[in-house]
Amino acid sequence: MTTTVDNENRLSETFAALANPTRRAILAHLARDEATVNELAAPFELTLPAISKHIKALERAGLVTRGHLAQYRPCALDASPLAEVATWAEQYRPVWEARFDRMDDYLGRLRSQRVTEGHDD
Amino acid sequence: MIDSGGSQDAVRIERTFDAPVDLIWQMWTDPEHFAAWYGPAGATMPVAEMDVRVGGTRLVCIKVTTPNGPMQMWFTGEYREVIANKRLVYTESMSNENGDIIAPSDMGMPSGHPTTTEVRVELEVLGGRTKMVMTHIGIPADSPGAVGWAMAIDKLAAHIDTQR
Repeated sequence: MTTTVDNENRLSETFAALANPTRRAILAHLARDEATVNELAAPFELTLPAISKHIKALERAGLVTRGHLAQYRPCALDASPLAEVATWAEQYRPVWEARFDRMDDYLGRLRSQRVTEGHDD
Repeated sequence: MIDSGGSQDAVRIERTFDAPVDLIWQMWTDPEHFAAWYGPAGATMPVAEMDVRVGGTRLVCIKVTTPNGPMQMWFTGEYREVIANKRLVYTESMSNENGDIIAPSDMGMPSGHPTTTEVRVELEVLGGRTKMVMTHIGIPADSPGAVGWAMAIDKLAAHIDTQR
């Protein structure tokens, strides 16, 4: 039970972190290469403290790790929390949605067929 | 836990169709209707078996054309709950054409994909329309039931082999 609650809290943190466009842009940057806070701040018209706040949110979600030894403490991406967002079940959602779209189309075809047959009677 | 099926690894989709409930029921239980919507575009679905009663088996094949030529996938399962126009529950696993279950990892699926999943369909009449709730749930490999027994028998068979 505790495990489930922990998982859910972590998922909430992950989703909250992903909900912000600046943070998604930071993740996109880190997906290419690790970077310092200064490098991450460069594309944005934001102050360093504002960028640091975003990075802290990403760290809490476990999406970003920071080097401890290097002088500039570069940020790096840890994509593992994202794997939980895309469980096997979530990967099936678009498959089912597409199936039900086809079911809807098929029902429409059956209905128009019936109408046509009705006119023939 | 909300549900004994487990609330986390499941996908739940709700749709309302402009069709009577008995027709939606047939969409799931009549092989011809089922084949008309279930497979991806361009696929054909020869249904080998759809014995829609509790304990009855199902065996369906999806044939798709890939750039590397035609490909067949087989799926097997068992009907667990059959209440006409109301509720249908069946299991699903990848299999061969004989209905022998194949582990997803052996089929090149990513780890974490359960060997057996359960599909629940619940129907509700809304005037002339039908509300459908579909839930697709992963069954933990250690749960009791058909899979658990199949695994136990596999282990027993392996054990007997080592004793020989």
